[in-house]
Amino acid sequence: MSEKVKIGFYALTSCYGCQLQFAMMDEILQLLDKVNIECWFMVERDSDEDREVDIAFIEGSVSTEEEVELVKKIREKAKVVIAVGSCAIHGGVQSWGKDKGLSELWKRVYGESHVKFEPKMAEPVEKYIKVDYKLYGCPPEKKDFLYALGTFLVGSWPEDIDYPVCVECRIKGNPCILIEKGEPCLGPLTVAGCDARCPGFNVACIGCRGAVGYDVAWFDSLALEFKKKGLAKEEILERMKIFNAHNPKLEEMVNKIFEEGE
Amino acid sequence: MYIPITVDHIARVEGKGGIEIVTSDEGVKEVKLNIIEGPRFFEAITIGKKLDEALAIYPRVCSFCSAAHKLTALEAAEKAVGFTPRPEIQDLRDLLYIGDMIESHALHLYLLVLPDYLGYSNPLAMIDKYKKEIEYAMALKNIGSKTMDYLGSRAIHQENAILGGFGKLPTKRQFEELKRELKEVLPMAEYTVELFAKLEQYKEVKDEEMVHMAVKPRNDVYGIYGDYIKVSDGFEFPVEDYKEYVVEKVVEHSFAKHSLYKDKPFMVGAISRIVNNADLLYGKAKELYSQYRDLLRYDNCFANNFAQALELVYFVERAIDIIDDILAKWPIKERDEVELKDGFGVSITEAPRGLLVYALEVKNGKVNYADIITPTAMNLAIMERHVRLMAEKHWQDDPEKLKLLAEMTVRAYDPCISCSVHVVKL
Repeated sequence: MSEKVKIGFYALTSCYGCQLQFAMMDEILQLLDKVNIECWFMVERDSDEDREVDIAFIEGSVSTEEEVELVKKIREKAKVVIAVGSCAIHGGVQSWGKDKGLSELWKRVYGESHVKFEPKMAEPVEKYIKVDYKLYGCPPEKKDFLYALGTFLVGSWPEDIDYPVCVECRIKGNPCILIEKGEPCLGPLTVAGCDARCPGFNVACIGCRGAVGYDVAWFDSLALEFKKKGLAKEEILERMKIFNAHNPKLEEMVNKIFEEGE
Repeated sequence: MYIPITVDHIARVEGKGGIEIVTSDEGVKEVKLNIIEGPRFFEAITIGKKLDEALAIYPRVCSFCSAAHKLTALEAAEKAVGFTPRPEIQDLRDLLYIGDMIESHALHLYLLVLPDYLGYSNPLAMIDKYKKEIEYAMALKNIGSKTMDYLGSRAIHQENAILGGFGKLPTKRQFEELKRELKEVLPMAEYTVELFAKLEQYKEVKDEEMVHMAVKPRNDVYGIYGDYIKVSDGFEFPVEDYKEYVVEKVVEHSFAKHSLYKDKPFMVGAISRIVNNADLLYGKAKELYSQYRDLLRYDNCFANNFAQALELVYFVERAIDIIDDILAKWPIKERDEVELKDGFGVSITEAPRGLLVYALEVKNGKVNYADIITPTAMNLAIMERHVRLMAEKHWQDDPEKLKLLAEMTVRAYDPCISCSVHVVKL
C-alpha cells in the first residue's frame, strides 16, 4: 500500500467559505483513501496544527498577531503551501477598509473597549511566508480544488491561470456587460476560472478572483474605459479595491490615467 | 492545583473559538467562550461605499449563511431607499433563502453534530458504517446548494440577488427539476427527524430562565421574514426598535460582542422559531411536531438540533409550494428598477441559526451607516451560560468527557463564529 498524502486545512480570519466549498464536494469521498487529514478543524475534532503535512491549504487573511505565528508554523511543517481564496491571496474584502486604518476601524466597531487579543489590518499570507500555489476565488470553484489536488496526487504541478474572465465570457457567448450595458464590470482584469459565472447571470463582475498576476493586470486600460463612461477616479479605485486593496500596481496604474488624460 | 480545562479551538463549528473552564474545590469558577477569530469590521469598511458594492460584500460575513446575509442586507437597503419588491420577487427570495436553510441545517446536523453522538471525531470516518446517513446528508446539502446555484448564482456568496430582484431567473425547466429533486429528498428530511429524535437531549442544561426570540412571520407563513419580533415572554416589538431591546456590549475575552434582552441572555435559532411560531407549521412538519413535541423543549439548547431536523421537513415542503406558485405565475419579470433615494431601513430575518439584523442608512447612493448583529453574537451570552450549566454538572468527571460535552453544548447552537466577529455600534 502506498503512503497516503497528508493534508491540512488551516483557517485564518475569513468567512470559512473556502473550507465549506471543499467540504461540500461529493468528490471528497473518493479522495479519502488517498489522503490523511492531519488538521482540519471544521470537520475533524482530532486536528493538530503541529503535525507535518505534505499539502497545507490556508484560508483567510492574516488579521491577528497569533495568525502571523500560525502561518510561519504551517510553512515549517508543510512541503507545499497553497493559499486558498481571496482572503489568503489578496487579504480579502476585509482589506477594503484599509485606507481608513486599523485604529479608525477599531474605534468605529469596538469604541474604547479593549479585547485581550491583538488585532491587525488584514493582510495576504504571502506577506509573511512563501506560498507555492494559489487557488483564486471568493470562494474558489470546486474544479479549482479538484484540479490542484488531482495534479498533486499524481506527482505533478498545476498550472496557474494567467488570463481574465473576459476570455471565458466570450467563449460562453454572453453579451458584454461593460460595453453593451455600460456597467463597471471587472471581468477584463480578473483572473478567469469561474466560467464567467456572474456575467452569465447578467451581473457585472466584482473581481472576486483578484487581478491577473504577472504584472499584466490591466488596471490602467480598464480605468480608462470606466473614465470614458463618466466614473470618477475614486469610484474606480473603490471598485477595483474590493478584492485588490493590497495590489501594489493598482493606484499607480489608475493614477496614470487621470494624470495623463486620454 | 486545578488546571483549567480548555478547548483551544472548537472543532466542527464555523470560525475560531475556544472554551475555558476554571474549577476549584467548590466547583466551577469561570466559564468563557473565547472568540479568537480576527475582526473584520464589516460595517465600518462599507461606510462611504456604493450601495450595490457594499451589498456584494455583505454575504462575505459568513459562508454557511451567505444567502441570509445577502437577502437581509438587500431588504434593509430596499427599505432604506423606499422600494418594495413585487410578491413574486419576494417568493423567489424566500426560495433562495430556503436553499440556504436546507443546506445549512443538513451540514450542521450530519457533518458537525452527528459524529459526536456516534463516537467519531469527523464525519468522513462514518462512511463505512453510516453510508446511508452520509448519502442523505449529501443529497439534502446538494438540493440546498442547487437551489442557491439556480437562484443566487452559486451556493456561497450569491451575486445574482440584487436590488430590485435578480440578474437572471432560472428557466421553467430548472424550476421543474428543482421541484422533482425536492420531492425526492423529502423522505430523507423525515428520516433526519426520526434519527435526531433518538439522540440524547442532555437534560443537565435545563434552563428555567430561557427566553427565545424569533420573528413574527409576515403573512402568517412560518419562516424567514417578519416585521415584528416575538419574544417567548409574550412581548412583541417592531423590527425598527431592535436597538431598544437587543443591547450589545464588548467583553474582554472575545472579538465578538454579547447581546442582552432586558439585561439577560436570550436564545435565537430553530428551537426559538418553533417555540414562538409552532402553530404556523403545516403538512408533514406539523404532523411530526405533534408526534415529537415533548422533544422540542424550550428550556434546553440541545433541542435546537431536533428543531433543525423538523425544519428540514418544513422547508423542503415549503420550497415545493413556492415553486408551484411560481410556475402558476410564469413568466416572471426578473427585476424592477430601484431609485436610490436617501433613507434608513432595518431588516431582521431568520438566518439558519437565528435572528439576523441589518440596519442601513443610504445617502447619495452610498452606505452612510451600517449595523449588523448576527445570530451567534446574540447567542454567545446564553451559550456561555449553558456551557457553565454543563460544566457544573460534570466538573468532577474526566476532563476529556467534559470537554466533549462542553463542545457539544456549543455545537447545539450551530454557532457561526466568523459571523459574530465584526459587530458594531456607532
